[in-house]
Formats: sequence, structure tokens, C-alpha cells
Amino acid sequence: MKKYLAVIAACSIAATAFASGSNELVINSYMSDQAPKETFQKLVDDFQKKNPDIKVTVNTTAHEQFKTLLPSWLTSKQAPDVVTWFAGYRMQAFAEKGLLEPINDVFPGGSFEAEFPPAFKTASSYNGNIYFMPQSWYWWAVYYNKDVFARLNLSIPKTADEFMAVCDKLKAAGIAPIAIGAKDTWTAGGWFDYMDSAVNGGEFHVKLTKGEVPYTDPAVKKTFGYIAEMAKRGYFMPNAASYSWQEAANVLFRGEAGMYLMGQFIKDVAPADVKDKIDFFRFPSFGRSDYAVDTPTDGFMIPKNAKNKEAAKKFMAYLATAEAQEMFCKPLGRLAANKKVPVPNADAQRGLDMVLGAKTAMQFYDRDAPEEMAAKGMNAIVDIIANPGQLDSILTALDKERVRIYSK
Amino acid sequence: MTLRIHKDKLLPWAFLALPLTMYLIWVIIPVLQSLLFSLTYRDTIMYGQKFIGLANFVRLFQDPQFHLALWNNFIWLVFFVGIPIPLGLGIAMLFNQEYAGARLYKTLFYVPMTLSFAVIGTIWAWIYHPDFGALNTILRAAHLDSWAKQWLGDKRYMTMALVFVGVWRQVPYVMILYLAVLKNVPEELVEAATVDGANWGQRFRHVIIPMLAPATVVAVTISIIDSLRSFDIVYVMTNTKARAAEVLASYMYSSAFHYQDYGYGSAIAVIQFLITFGFIVVYVSNTLKNELQR
Repeated sequence: MKKYLAVIAACSIAATAFASGSNELVINSYMSDQAPKETFQKLVDDFQKKNPDIKVTVNTTAHEQFKTLLPSWLTSKQAPDVVTWFAGYRMQAFAEKGLLEPINDVFPGGSFEAEFPPAFKTASSYNGNIYFMPQSWYWWAVYYNKDVFARLNLSIPKTADEFMAVCDKLKAAGIAPIAIGAKDTWTAGGWFDYMDSAVNGGEFHVKLTKGEVPYTDPAVKKTFGYIAEMAKRGYFMPNAASYSWQEAANVLFRGEAGMYLMGQFIKDVAPADVKDKIDFFRFPSFGRSDYAVDTPTDGFMIPKNAKNKEAAKKFMAYLATAEAQEMFCKPLGRLAANKKVPVPNADAQRGLDMVLGAKTAMQFYDRDAPEEMAAKGMNAIVDIIANPGQLDSILTALDKERVRIYSK
Repeated sequence: MTLRIHKDKLLPWAFLALPLTMYLIWVIIPVLQSLLFSLTYRDTIMYGQKFIGLANFVRLFQDPQFHLALWNNFIWLVFFVGIPIPLGLGIAMLFNQEYAGARLYKTLFYVPMTLSFAVIGTIWAWIYHPDFGALNTILRAAHLDSWAKQWLGDKRYMTMALVFVGVWRQVPYVMILYLAVLKNVPEELVEAATVDGANWGQRFRHVIIPMLAPATVVAVTISIIDSLRSFDIVYVMTNTKARAAEVLASYMYSSAFHYQDYGYGSAIAVIQFLITFGFIVVYVSNTLKNELQR
């Protein structure tokens, strides 16, 4: 018996020695689509080459599952060292609970301001500490199939009336005017952000995502009224609730749909021969001269329970450099958070100009509102698209949820 | 002598000690913990506990989503008991006779049982796809276009579409259960009834059915419990996003793990536990009564 115990003891000592000597860095990432996944791997390889003493492991989890699992990782004693995440409210909610490691020392002597525009500091901080390292950001816009528009002789709609007219012409030609993959309910969240800020202004919409405006407010009803009207006229593709966002993107790529309100990452999933046939325009004006845009910002943070914070911070410092940010953003056509990185291409320049001209920049409905509220809200929008006649009862039920969720 | 009796009493407990300890650690204590959680404010794990009494249960009974989940579970239960049991028995009766290919058919019927719910759910999600799915393709080919629905996207059909898949997998299970017992119905009994002039219907009603009673109790109870824990199919086929098909288990999952409202999730779990427990008590007391009679 003693012999066995001795063997076990020896093994465990050896194992501990091995673990502490290996200097491992564990990264949990939600970049599961092929293009961002490969690009991120290149960054990891580069970092690995520069730091041969650190052994980097990347665990990739599909986006939706990642969101579900992250809270359990952050609270666990076996937390990863670095995780991908979103700037703004969704990060701050974790910081508030004390689950994140401040990374002020990654940016000594005000170097955060030297690398990033001021707006990113607010979205990356909580209570005066920096918790988030912004990497890339992108814009949402109406993506459209250029071939379809050319064939039907359609021009870019700038107003609500022009937009409806384009939808009518597409429908008459037997093409679904608007693709939407409502099986992923967040695709409907974009419609809410853009329609509400186009109808009521960005500032109003920000108040709403903070829970300060009832969903039964006449102004909000007006927003949903437009969406319901479009659904009644059959502008959204049929059977939308059975399509994931990528499947619906394929409908657009094949020219069976004309337009798709989507983030720039739609280009990540476009086949090479289609990439140039897809372009974007700004969401049309619904009577206002100002406009708002969704500009979700992605980046990284370190869990409070991370094992190897030293390596994690080293990796953060590396990711913040203009060189590393360009390596990530250039192939994907995204905008780098680091202001020293040049805009990767003409598309991104147009995206950036659109953002700079906006009165309000939002993250996204499910990043600006509490997760539960956003989930219920996005379900309600999908429901309205499928059953526009039940608009009033859907909004009444939704507002009950708002009262409950924000009262916590 | 006294020592002997003592030993006889202790020995079973010595054998039971390990399994009972494991049962305590993995079943009893977690159940009690859920009960405790259900009386606490959300975010129990992240913020620490804060007792709020029965507030979670009060909220449950006012929550339309909970009512929907309860109703959907009821639909699951009705169809899970109502269809697989008579159908499984009918098929078992057919297969209880010797004829060419009986074995092959039996195997074919049994194949769904060998697949996990994750596989079944994925296959059926494609069969149900409104545009490319086999079901709608067949309906359209038969010129029944108006019957071709958005099975998993339209809240009117969602639950029934899911229940059908569950039933499809449950039928062979019940069939096997009955086949095993049918093999043991003594030939002489049936022959004696025939000699007494009983026709097929009477033989089935008065000889075979009573012989199958114990199997029926098992089949009904297991079907009830299976219907109450229906989660896999709902989760795989709707990704828990489709609130219209919500059942208790999926609502518990999304409340606790999507919204980190562990208190509310636990309250749902407690209700589900009580319902299931009620059926189990009936089943166990029934079994014990039969065992003791023997």
C-alpha cells in the first residue's frame, strides 16, 4: 500500500512540476467561422513564434454556445486565460460582478489613448479601470445583390418610400425582397436597431435599450408598425424562421433575395466568386435627417480566475499593436480598433465614412440591452414578422418582461 | 445467537453503503440544493444567496411562458401515452407470429431506438425543412401544396411536429417491451380459450390483455416519465429559440443557463420534479404491491 501511495505522490509532484514549467496560455474563442478562425490562428502562430516559452492553446466554440458557456467559465476556478468578447454593456456586466481582471498595466502611462480613439475607452472600461482590449469593429448596413439590382434596373433607395418601391419591384419579379435568417433571432435585432433609430432617432433607441422607455410607447409602436407592415406585404423571405443567418445569406448570394440587413461579416461567408457581387448601402431614412449605426466592437478580456495572467497580458499587449490588428483586420475587411492601422480597403472606407457621419453609434441590441431582455425582444420581433396581426398583444407581453427584468 | 442476528441485519447495509452514499451525493443532495436554490434571488452563483421565499413560485404561476411550457408538456404526455402504447402493442401482435421476413421487419422497426435523440432531431429537422425537406417535397408532389407548412418555424405546428418525432421513436420501444412478454404468454391458455369457444376478440380481451398488464404498467409509466423529460428533441430541433415549443425542461435550461437566473430555473425544476415524482410514487407503490402479493 505504501508503495502505491509513494508512486501516486511522485506522479502528482511530477505533474505539478510539468504544469508550472509549461507556461501554458489558454484562449477560449468564439471565432468559429472559417475565415476569422484561420486569421486568428495566424496571429496566435505569430505570437507563439515571438514567445517560444509560452504554449498557446486555442479552444474554439460556436458563437451561440460560447455566449451560454462564458458565465460558467468566468465563475469557474479553471477559467481560461483569455476570452473573446464584446465591448460595452455586455463586458461591463461581468466587470461589475468582479469576474474580470483589470488590464490597466497592459497600457502603461496612457498608451491606451495613444493606440485607440477616445470612444473605445468608454466601451472598454468600467469604474475607471480598463477590462477590455478592442481588436476590430464593423458596421451593419443593407447588403444587396448587385446583379439582381442591375437586372431589374433598381437604384439604391434613400428614403422609406423608395425602399418600399424597391421591395415591390423585387417581389413583382418573383424575388424575395429581404433575406432574413430568423432562426438566429439576432438577425431580427438589427431590424429593431435600425428601424427604431430611423423612426425615432438614435438617442431614443439608446434610452429604450437601457429600459427607460416602455415597448408599448406609441413611438415604439410606430417602429414595429413599419416592420409589421413590411411583413404583411410579404417583403421578408418566406419561411424565414427556418433559416440560420448563413443559410439566408446563401439565398441572397444566389440572387433569390434582393437585400439583407447584416453586419460586414456577411462577406466572411460569401464564396469567392460572389464576394464582389455583394455590396451595401446605408439603411434608408424614415423621415429624419440624422441616422444611427450599429458598430459592434469585438475584442478580448482576462477572467479574474485566469491561471496565467502574466502570459495573458503579454498576449493582450501583442494583440493591441497596430501590426497585429492589421494582420487580423486586413484579410477580413474589418476596421481595426487601433487608430494607426490604415483602413483595409475602399469598402471599409465607405463603412467608416458612414459611421463617422452618424449621430449615434450603437453596439447592437443584444449587446446594449441585458441579455434576457434582448432575447425576449428579438423573439418578439421574429414573432411580429411571422404574425404581424398580433402586434399589440406581442408588445404588451414584451413590456411586462421589460418591467420585470429592469426592476432587478 | 444475538451476535448472529446482529450480523444478519448489518450485512445488507454493508453492501448498500457504497451505492447509497453515491445516491446521496449525486441525487438526494442536489435535489435538496435545487429546492434551496428555488427560494433564492437570481444569480445565486455569482452574487451569493439571498432568500426571497416563494417569490419565484409566485412569478411562475403568473408567467404565460410557464403556462405554455406546462401545456406543451401535457400535449407530450397525452400523445406519448395515447399513441405508442396501442400502436406498439398492435405491431408486437403482428410480429409475434412466424412468417417470412418477420425478423427483418422487426429490426427495421427497431432501428430508430438505436439512434440518439441528437441524431434523430438533426435528421427530422431536415425532413421538416419548409423548402428542401422531404415532407414538404412529398406533399407538393402529391399536389397538397396547402398542407406544406413551416413545421418548425410556425408556432401552430411546432409542438406537434416535435411530439411526432418523439412518438416515432417511442413506438419501437413499447413494441419490444410487449414482444418480450407476448413470448411468455402460455400457448395452452390461448388454446384452452379457443376450445371454450372464445373468438379472436374475446381471446385478446380476456386472455392476452390481462397477461400483458404488468408490461402495460411499465410502458405507461416510462412513457409518462419520458414525455416529462422531453428536452433533447426540443433543444436539438429548435435550438431553444422557439419559445412556442417550450417544455418545462427547456424553459428551466434557458432560465438557468442562458439568463443565469438559477433561482427561477430551480423553481421550474422543483415543479417538474413534483409532477414526475407523483407518477413515480404511483408506479413504485403499484410494483411493490404486486411483488408482495407473490
